[in-house]
Order: sequence, then C-alpha cells, then structure tokens
Amino acid sequence: MAERIDLPAFAAALGRELHAAGVPSTPEHAVRFARALALAPPADRDALYWTARTVFLSHHDQLEAFDRVFAAVFDGAGDPAGPRGDRNAPPLRGAEAGERRAPPGAAPLGTGAEGGAPPRAGLGGEAGREADEPERDVPVTAASAAERLADRDFAALDEQELRALRGLMREPALAPPPRLTRRARRDRRGDRLDVRATLRASHRTGGDPARRIMRRRTREPRRLVVICDVSGSMEHYTRAFLQFLHAAVGGAGAEAFVFATRLTRLTTALRARQPDLALERATAAARDWSGGTRIGESLQRFNDDHGRRGMARGAVVVILSDGWERGDPDVVAEQMRRLRRLAHRIVWVNPRRASSRFEPRVGGMAAALPYCDAFVSGHSMRALTEVAAAIAGNDTRRRGT
Amino acid sequence: MSGAAHSGAEAAVREAVPDVDALARGLADVDYLADEGLATALFFALRLPQPLLLEGEAGVGKTEAAKSLAAMLGTPLIRLQCYEGIDAAEALYEWNYPRQLLRIRIAEAQGGEIAEEDLFSAEYLIARPLLQAIRHPGPLPAVLLVDELDRADDDFEAFLLELLAEAGITIPELGTVRATHPPLVILTSNRTRDLHDALKRRCLYHWIDYPTPEREVEIVRRRVPHAARTLAVGVAGAVRRLRAAELQKPPGVAETIDWVAALTLLGVERLDAAAAGRTLGAVLKYREDQDAIRAAGLERLVADG
Repeated sequence: MAERIDLPAFAAALGRELHAAGVPSTPEHAVRFARALALAPPADRDALYWTARTVFLSHHDQLEAFDRVFAAVFDGAGDPAGPRGDRNAPPLRGAEAGERRAPPGAAPLGTGAEGGAPPRAGLGGEAGREADEPERDVPVTAASAAERLADRDFAALDEQELRALRGLMREPALAPPPRLTRRARRDRRGDRLDVRATLRASHRTGGDPARRIMRRRTREPRRLVVICDVSGSMEHYTRAFLQFLHAAVGGAGAEAFVFATRLTRLTTALRARQPDLALERATAAARDWSGGTRIGESLQRFNDDHGRRGMARGAVVVILSDGWERGDPDVVAEQMRRLRRLAHRIVWVNPRRASSRFEPRVGGMAAALPYCDAFVSGHSMRALTEVAAAIAGNDTRRRGT
Repeated sequence: MSGAAHSGAEAAVREAVPDVDALARGLADVDYLADEGLATALFFALRLPQPLLLEGEAGVGKTEAAKSLAAMLGTPLIRLQCYEGIDAAEALYEWNYPRQLLRIRIAEAQGGEIAEEDLFSAEYLIARPLLQAIRHPGPLPAVLLVDELDRADDDFEAFLLELLAEAGITIPELGTVRATHPPLVILTSNRTRDLHDALKRRCLYHWIDYPTPEREVEIVRRRVPHAARTLAVGVAGAVRRLRAAELQKPPGVAETIDWVAALTLLGVERLDAAAAGRTLGAVLKYREDQDAIRAAGLERLVADG
C-alpha cells in the first residue's frame, strides 16, 4: 500500500461510488468533505473513515453500503499503480499501519457482500422496460373493468388484469379514524379562548376584550400501518396486495412492511408514484419473497424496531396474511398482545376467509384472532372496500368472525 | 444585533477545540468518554460548523453527548423536546399575555395611556428554546439540543430548517433577531419516521453504537466512582449478554450505570446470580424481559468470560 494517498482524487472517487451504491452524494457533500479534510487532515485510515462517514452518511441503513464502498475506494486509491495525479496531496502518515482491516464498527455487520445496497438494477432497468412496453392504462375501460373484475378472486387474475386494477385500488379511500391533535385552529364555535387574538382585537375596542375569539383542537387521521405477508402460501395474492400497499402509501400516507422470514420496511420504495418503478424497487428491497412464514418473529421485529418507538401508537394496523405460521403460535399471540396495547385498531385481512370451508383453526390465525378488531377477506376488489370500511372503523364485525 | 461578531466566535471555538483529540480529552474531563467516531462528528459539527444528527438505540448517550459538550465548552445547554403537534409558540417565543393585560388594567386604573410599543417590548416576551439559543451572547456558542425531532410534525421540521439556515428570527413587533454566535445544533431522532431529505442534507450524521465492554467499564467507573472495579467488569459483561439476547428493550448505557449504582448501594462487590436477581429491575424494564432472562438462568448471565 502506498504511503500517501491523493485526497482530492479519493474524495471524487468516493462520492461517485457512493452515489452508484445508492447513498445520496451531492456537490454539497463534496464541498463539505473537502472543508472537513482541510480542517482536520486525517492521520490514518480510521480518521479518514470517520470524517467521510460523518459527512456522507445520513441514515443508519446506508452504513453497510458505505463501509463496502469506503473499503473498495480506499484500497484502490492506495494502489501506487493507479493512474493518480497529485503526489503533493497531504500524506496519510500511518496509512501503512492501517493496513486493510475493516473500518471500525464494520466488523459486527458481517461481510458487505449481501449488504443492503439499494436496488440499483431496478432503477437502471426501468427505462428500458418502459420503452418496449406500451402504456396500458385504464381510463377508457375503467367502468367495465370495475364491473367485471370487482368480484374476481385476486388469485385468479392474470398480469394484465392486475395492471388494470391499479387505478381502482385507489378508489376505496383509506381513511383511518381521526385523533385530536395538540394544535388548535380559530373556530367560532370552538371551546378554547384564543387569548392572543382576543387581546389583539381588544385594542380596537379601547382595551376591552369585547369580542371573544375561540379556537378548537384540529383533528387528523391516525397513522395507517400495513404489514403484508409475502411468504409462499400467499404467493397468488402477493402482486395484488403489493399494489394495494402502493395505493395505501400514495393515497393515505401509510407505512408499509412485508415479511416472510424477516420484516422489510417498504414505505420509501413504494413512495415512487410510478407503479412499475415502485413495485420494482419494492421487489428489490425485500429478499425473502415466497419464503417460509415467521409471523410471530416478524411481528416482534415490527414491535421492537418500529411499533414501540411510536409508529404503532394510536395507529390503525392492517395485517394481510393467511395466518399459516411455521413457528410457535404462542409467539404470535404474545406479539399480537403487545401490538394490541399500542395500536388503536388491528385489522386482519385473510384472503382464505372467503372460502366456505375456511375455519380459523390454523395455529397462527387462531392465536391472533382474539386481538383483532376486524377480520375481513380482502380477496377481491369488492372485498377491499370492506377492508377500507374496517380501517375507518365503521364495520359491525368486531373481534373475529 | 448583527452577524458582525461571527468571525470572533469562530476564533474562540478554534481556540477551545483545536483538533479531534483535544475535543475527546475535553469531553473526558467532564466524564464523557467519546469514541473516535463521535469525537470526529462533534468536532466537525463545531468547526465546520454544521448541525449534527445523532441516532442510535435508546440509552447510548445521545442526549448526554450534547450535555457534556455544553459542559465542556462552559456554555448553556438549551433543550427543545419535540412532541406531536409542537408549534412555533412553544419552540420560539410567546408574548406574556396575562402580564400585558395586567399592564393595560393598571394604566386604566391610573387613568394613563399606554402605547402598543410598550406592550410589545422585550419585557413582555417569553423566550422559548430556539430564541434563547439565537440570543445567546457568546463568546462560545450555546449548544441547542433538539431532542426526538421525529416526534414533531413535518411542517415543524421545515420551519426548523428555515431557522437553521437563517440563524435568525423575525418577531413582527420587535424586528429581526440575528444570532451573533449561532448555536451548535444537535438533533436526535429515534427513527419513528424518516426525517425529510432536505434536513438530512444540511446535517452531519453519526450513529452511536453501544460501547465496547472495556469502554463501558471506564464509563461506569467515572459515573459511579465508588463502585468496585470487579463489579463494573461483571456488570459490563452481563449487559453485553443482555444486549445479545432477544429482548424487547435491550439495556442502554444509562441502565448499566443505574444497575451498578443500585448494586453498589447494596454493598455488592462482585456480581453473582443472587445479587443480579434482586436488582434486575434496574436494568430490565419489561416484565416479559425479566421472565425470559430468569428462565434462561441468572447463573449464565453472570458467568465469567
């Protein structure tokens, strides 16, 4: 390894490679990095690592990708055979001592090989697919498609029919019940006195508060969290439900998760307005499609990492799953009990419920049911309107069948 | 009030914090042991200067870092705790209406007149954290801790962003207050929602990990000076095992310190299963977690190595 490293070249390469790996790196970052390097010239690889990490990182999820890129660029930049220019750049004393060990903090994360690099392929492949696939949209056929497809089971629909449903998925407006916020807005029939405005108005009436100005607390819809089972047993419904998730994220600002063996948060991926792009990003983000089912463990992950931190507090939580649990049903029950204590409502959507022979005897399902406020099928477009009603809280079926 | 003194503050900061090592030493003097990563992040936050977003599991010392930095610089720590629905009046400033009203009444009773300018003067202004931080007279900048920003609404975030960019506040009745010594801003988030990209772009970022067992022993020894060394070592080992277990709430550094303090009160000098059992409530705050650990065996929790 070379004794000196060309810092400007290193900075440029790092910025470029980070961008390629999906960690946002703007000119602003580059300028800041240059200033940071000037302010505290790094003495060794560790110091350089921490400086770069502080400047470029903006999310814990990016850490794995960052560590991988840093290691690659640093080792590359240290290569004396590399076509690097300015040898007068600040030398990295002790760089030889740094050797090629992993950056501090990288060790427990394991190898970067299966790291969380955002779906680069998904982004790149998009343009090509758009070009040779004529835009299939619904406006003309919307009414008839709605009629024809409303009662069809999602599992029986083909690719084209699913695409036709995209617009319709947004139709049943998802409106979680409101909660009172701390904010108050001026309201003639409000219940609180707006002292500030009243006093201001009193200047006109010689200092006497002749006119009372009232405020009322505003209402806002509760947070909506949708957690979808994408394990093997749900395979036929996964595509349709993913479209539903996309509609929920775009339309109701929902938080979206999928799980089979592990939980993946898809909110950011599904926020793309373009359905193809959003679904492609989502597909790339989760790695366990059609795997086995670990409902209990996935719910635990959700409770521990998100729910308890505040995401589920007072929220309406929708779980789409057939309840086929490979693990211990007791874990499902325990995690549902925890979720119950956090959430405002829990809606369980099970497409198998539509079948006449269905009985919620499967371990996971039976364990979860006592904690659900609503239990609906959601297996077709018409059934999805039931889901919307259950989210709004105006269905009659409470607690199980 | 103007931004003219800005360069002066810079010089004072440069002098107080010449390099990363000096900052780490300064923090150690106020009993906060920062690792190289955190020290680097805090150094750049001070010297670039740039707001710093700190994230990490609960109890790894995010808030403590800001407190210690303020203690080290000898400047006030101004804390803004965010919550759902927080608005400008609670974060910025408010007029003291009862006092203004009283003043009007007194003027009336005395048959005098009172001008509006008198009512809307600094005397009747209640400065909330953001205004306090902006008005801090220096020479070193105040440390402004915006705690749990993810709990506030999006629009509050936008408002904060604007304020950070301007380093000034306009009060319609009084005019614009500019920061002579812009505060050092430290934001913390528990990641209940993603913060806006625009905000993240403006900030430096650092993820605080749990300390290594050796460092944790050092931290405990500083915070609970009369604790036995053997006890600190034993507890640090046990806590490491607890963090590796699947718990609802893995213990943070704060819990480690509490636990050692509790054990020291009982006169324990070496952690054993009985002592751990009596004091488990200091470190595990969920009944389910306690049950799980007791079921797995306290002997294994306190085992050596």
